[in-house]
Amino acid sequence: MPEKSKAPAKSKAYRLIGKNYVTPGLMAKVTGKAKYAEDYRAEGMLFAKLLLSPMPHARIRKIDVSAALAMPGVKAILTGDDVPAPADAITDMGQVIPANKLADRGLTNNPVFQGEPILAVCAVDELTCAEAIEKIRIDYERLPHVVDPLVSLRPGGPNARAEGNTWIRPVAVQGQPPQPPQVKEIKWTQADFDAAKDGQLPMGKATEEWAFGDWEAGLKNADLVLDETFVTPNTSHQTLETRTAMAYWQNGKVFVHCSSQSTAQTAPAVARWLGLLDEKGLPDLSKVVIISEYTGGGFGSKITASLSAIIPAILSRKTGAPVMMRISREEEHFIGRARPSLHARVKVGFTKDGRITAIDMFGILDDGPYGPQGDLGQSARQVSLMYQPPAMRFRGIPVLTNTPPRLSQSQPGGFQGIAVLEPILAKASRKLGIDQVAIHRINAPVGKAPIGPAVAGKRAYVTGAYVQEALDRGRQLFKWDERNARPKRSGTKARGIGVATSCFVGGSVGFDGLFVIRPDGKIYIPSGVGNLGTDSVTDCYRVVAEIMGVPWEKCEVSWGHTGRNLPWTAPSGGSQTLHAMTRAAYVASLDAKDKLRQIAAKDLGGTPENYEVGGERVYRKGGGAGMTLAQAAKRAIELGGIYDGHELPKGINKMTATSAGAMAGQGLLAVAKDSMPRDGQTHSFVAGFAEVEVDLETGSYQITDYLGVADVGTVMNPRSLGGQILGRSMLGIGHALGQKWVYDQRYGLPLAKRFHHNRPPTILDAPKHMQWDALDIPDPETPVGSKGIGEPPVAAGCMAVINALWDALGDDVFRRAPVMLDTILASLEAGKPMEEGLTAHV
Amino acid sequence: MAIVRDIMPAFELFQPATIQDALGLLDRYGRDAWVLAGGLDSFDWLKDRVKRTKVVVDLSQIKELTGIREAGGGLEIGAMTTLTEVVRHPVVKAKYSILSEGAESAASPQIRNQGTLGGNVSQDARCWYYRGGWKCYRAGGNICFADTPTAINREHAILGADRCVAVNPSDSAPALIALDAQMVIRNSKGERTVNAEDYFVGPEIDITRMTVLKPGDLLTAIRIPATWAGAQFYFEKIRDRPVWDFPLLNVASAMVVSGGNIERIRIVVNAAAARPLRLTAVENAVRGKPRNAATGELGGKIAIEGAEPLRYNGYKIPLMRNLVKRAISGVEETKWT
Amino acid sequence: MDLIEFATSPWGETVPIHISFVLMWVAAIGGLAFLIGHAIWVKMFAKPAEHPAPVSKELAATIPAKVPRHSLASRMFHWIMSVAMLALLVTAFVPKAGYEFAWVTYHWIAGLVLTVSIVYHIIHASFWLDFWAIWPDKIDIEDGKRRWMRATGKDAPAPRKFAKYPMENKLYHFVILLTGLSVTITGLFMMKRIRTPIFTRNPYMFGDMTWGLMYVLHGLAGVGLIGLIMAHIYFALRPEKFVITKAMIFGSVDREHYLEHHDPERWVLETTKKANEQRSGAAV
Repeated sequence: MPEKSKAPAKSKAYRLIGKNYVTPGLMAKVTGKAKYAEDYRAEGMLFAKLLLSPMPHARIRKIDVSAALAMPGVKAILTGDDVPAPADAITDMGQVIPANKLADRGLTNNPVFQGEPILAVCAVDELTCAEAIEKIRIDYERLPHVVDPLVSLRPGGPNARAEGNTWIRPVAVQGQPPQPPQVKEIKWTQADFDAAKDGQLPMGKATEEWAFGDWEAGLKNADLVLDETFVTPNTSHQTLETRTAMAYWQNGKVFVHCSSQSTAQTAPAVARWLGLLDEKGLPDLSKVVIISEYTGGGFGSKITASLSAIIPAILSRKTGAPVMMRISREEEHFIGRARPSLHARVKVGFTKDGRITAIDMFGILDDGPYGPQGDLGQSARQVSLMYQPPAMRFRGIPVLTNTPPRLSQSQPGGFQGIAVLEPILAKASRKLGIDQVAIHRINAPVGKAPIGPAVAGKRAYVTGAYVQEALDRGRQLFKWDERNARPKRSGTKARGIGVATSCFVGGSVGFDGLFVIRPDGKIYIPSGVGNLGTDSVTDCYRVVAEIMGVPWEKCEVSWGHTGRNLPWTAPSGGSQTLHAMTRAAYVASLDAKDKLRQIAAKDLGGTPENYEVGGERVYRKGGGAGMTLAQAAKRAIELGGIYDGHELPKGINKMTATSAGAMAGQGLLAVAKDSMPRDGQTHSFVAGFAEVEVDLETGSYQITDYLGVADVGTVMNPRSLGGQILGRSMLGIGHALGQKWVYDQRYGLPLAKRFHHNRPPTILDAPKHMQWDALDIPDPETPVGSKGIGEPPVAAGCMAVINALWDALGDDVFRRAPVMLDTILASLEAGKPMEEGLTAHV
Repeated sequence: MAIVRDIMPAFELFQPATIQDALGLLDRYGRDAWVLAGGLDSFDWLKDRVKRTKVVVDLSQIKELTGIREAGGGLEIGAMTTLTEVVRHPVVKAKYSILSEGAESAASPQIRNQGTLGGNVSQDARCWYYRGGWKCYRAGGNICFADTPTAINREHAILGADRCVAVNPSDSAPALIALDAQMVIRNSKGERTVNAEDYFVGPEIDITRMTVLKPGDLLTAIRIPATWAGAQFYFEKIRDRPVWDFPLLNVASAMVVSGGNIERIRIVVNAAAARPLRLTAVENAVRGKPRNAATGELGGKIAIEGAEPLRYNGYKIPLMRNLVKRAISGVEETKWT
Repeated sequence: MDLIEFATSPWGETVPIHISFVLMWVAAIGGLAFLIGHAIWVKMFAKPAEHPAPVSKELAATIPAKVPRHSLASRMFHWIMSVAMLALLVTAFVPKAGYEFAWVTYHWIAGLVLTVSIVYHIIHASFWLDFWAIWPDKIDIEDGKRRWMRATGKDAPAPRKFAKYPMENKLYHFVILLTGLSVTITGLFMMKRIRTPIFTRNPYMFGDMTWGLMYVLHGLAGVGLIGLIMAHIYFALRPEKFVITKAMIFGSVDREHYLEHHDPERWVLETTKKANEQRSGAAV
């Protein structure tokens, strides 16, 4: 049984950290002055538009573009033959990672989902592009298709690709580079399907499997064993800004205006996609400039912008003119990526006081046509952390389908894992008569809690977990016990309350910090973090101002342009940024302080240890001589060498070195790599609490209250944190309320491909009352103590609502998310679940 | 022909200033003319290149088509009056609140600012196969893709299906029928009025049209008689999200109760069939009966007689039963303690 | 003018969906033009009918005053079928011509009546009637050639008298058989596309292309029937053919008509057969 957590003392009071501030991009956003990729114009700019495959799976025999090319105004046509093949990646160490030859290439002659781009037409305007596209004749050979993973696993079921229907990852060989995954065919037997009772997920051969502890004994000795099937939805990322891009070339260098989650990391990605490699085969960053000052949402679909951004870039090279390719909302459905659904069946054993004895989890991931996605393995991994089973077995299989490509979406895998486990926890609480909060608390991770299967006989663990504290705080703030004591039915309404806990990776390490103190006394910080609305683009660098003792107003953060000397920066995905880049900012600040002390000692005598930094000065401890930062910056330039960046430390990334080199001589240059130790893997946690009110005569329901309590370390920017906790909870709540894909299985075509039919939540779907809180307990393994918040609120929001629905409606109403009024009403009417539990995309 | 969406093809645009000029244009171009009101239905079709037209006759400049006037004891609402104006009009609110409720339940505030009452009642079906450009019966083809073994049809018809199973999506239409409104239609030959309930056409009669309007016809106004002014009204719309979404079902009733008994009643549901359904059998059954839960339940049961569910829309049957019940006897009060 | 309407299938393929309904007008106008043309031709140019040698008195004596031509069963079939056919044409084409009503239910019910009556007719004609009587034989073909040559002013021997059914009657039957079978067989499959109490709907029984061709065939046969039925009614009402129409009502033609137009050796009556049997019996 997990021990009671011993939380360290509350984070100490900082001057800037933990305080609200006006973020630099705020005014531009609210006044409409912010420029997104689509807002740029260049002289002589052409437009491009995509021709999409009408079939879910086909081979192109012939493309006749003659009539289109003959039209006035049409400048070029780009097909799958014109885009580079996926290139092998080469690590900094020179190791070649062979490319997955079955990966998405942007344009294709073998479409594997309806809506896959076949070619792009470039013309003087979009109307001409569209008319030209209608003149193009393509001879397709239609191939068998499948949009439902279970259909593909049936004996004789169709395969989404000629090669098969599942991904096999070759076993890693020590010392050898990882081999690309392969597509193979796996079919289950009729007996596998027959063995599943009504509503249960059939289980057959799996491709991924691991276990720890004696899970069989755990289930055998349990007081209660639940065997439940639950299905999560496929949800498009549906960022408000579609992945429009504009590109032009100047002197052999390509400038790409695009929508990206992480500026610094997009440059090497685009270089590799375009085949712009140096003599060593590494991305040639001198040939790529990425401009992405504002990004209208990413959620994991634009971590390094989008593959489609290479299309205007190649067309621009072909035509010699700037080219913009705007992506419509419908095109965004096809190429904008989505979260893969998980069909899962999980057996969980409980003692009579609610403690989990063992978990046996089986999952089918709808992997789309490309992949493989990491969601499958991650789902089980996060389950092993969140519910701390003493023993667990996981089996899973990714299945390829002819549906749009999947990609990491906020809490990838973690969401699905928690979504399939939470219903079981809630059901156990009803069966065992244990309060929902209590059953979550007894199974919650504490401190350096273990995660995942054992590797070389040892299980990994997290840096710290304070989930019990979050549950306790939430119980009190939500008035859980008071609500729980109230009646559940009145008139034609039913009420229910739910709690869910959630977790995910909350930070990475190893990136670089870089800034310069100029002779004007100000600190200039180039930020390579993407500006996608989470504010981490500047939040991370509050650390610099905090540690340097400089007012925030004297720090100038520049962002959004890789031509502006960016350090090697964490990708803004997987909630890594705040953790990784506060560390990088921290080490760079230490470097600056060091250099300031050295300069002071050189000029004013004594040793560096005699000096300290604060109040925009470096001064002798205990008062006395000192100099302003402005004076020190001027001296750094005079001193040169390490002080102004003419001499750089070893170990920093090549990108950082190039940038630092370009900044050399401007002032006191601070540059350092984060090589601080970290004991454990950084994870963040959220506990969500929800109350729902269901109209039993219509099936419609409303979330009356919601509370999210986060265990994300030191609070950096409260306003932004609150926005993230509630905003990401809404993302998850959308998965509960109605967001999904709908496909016609015969034709393999989507019926829902825009906001109206995919139904992301609206502001009026938001709970009537929403509140948030954060524990503000620093993570023990990182200097500032901050962790990322982007991921864990998603499953907490979704499953708190779903658990509340179960509380209001009982066990026999629904078995999948989203839960919509048709299911509720039909099931209540029939007295049994009336939805099609297993059919995909209904 | 390769399919491309989201780029409106070119067309000739006319913006007549008078009804007379508009009718002249409709006459001249016949089937080639597309009548544009608020554009919320039209631009969907045009932008996606699914339906095309040579000529668009935009009614937005015709002043005589807008505004709400008192006439004959009731109201006359110009067809181009925006839904927002209808919602906010003091007389509509005071005497015909069912109409302002119906109009307010449509779409979103921005759409109601642009969308017109005439457009809302005359809009095309929202079946996702049809709107997606699938060549179905309604699009002149030979199949209903929404009524097949693999079709996803949770939003489709439970009543009155004839090959096509699309539903009428209007939120104001049931309110207008409950108020016994009259639709004023003009063409170059003159003016005629049609009862609101006869304005709509089911697939059994014409599978490609939603209303009686034919090329050359223009809905110019909607007249609401004083008959039901100040009656007891009920309107409810059920949809997936509280904004934007079309009805999964809506209900409107107007009732005059005297001495606790239902003296007169009109009750209409929409999104159950390809046209709004006035439930005369229910009206006949509950007329003269006390307005109570038992009468409501009776009405609900009668309402769903003959309803046939598709694979995914069976829920609409209890939903319609319950909504009709509520439209007669009201919603049971909730008392949370 | 396109004869067939094509559509883009959900997979972007071009498939036929049905005939162009302009063909309905083409068939109606074409049918009308034929009637007018034929009426004028008969009035202005037709040569008087040739009267080949009369039959022997002996044989003539065996012919009753009323020669039975259509049994009650055959007549019932004909009239039921004709009502069904007219109902089908009206329900199919009147709404297309602009007078709208709910036609589908009537159409498929009439279609089923037609189908059942055709099935009945096939069985009845195969086992109870002289099956071959309605099919053109060698003599019909030879005589057809002769008539054509003579009509075009060439030298040819005089054609012989008809068997039970005149040549044009046989040809008409053949064409109506083809169109009737096309329209009913496609129609039966098309019932899988609509809601009826008879079949479980399955619009996906065939692919888009097969269905499209089926609709086209149904449509072509349907508009063909407009012309064919117009011609049929026209001939039924023509004075010189009226005797046949009456036979379809009352069952028989009179002796004179029989002797004038039909070859008793090719249309052997029961009474003649009996007389022959008696005669040959007596000879033995």
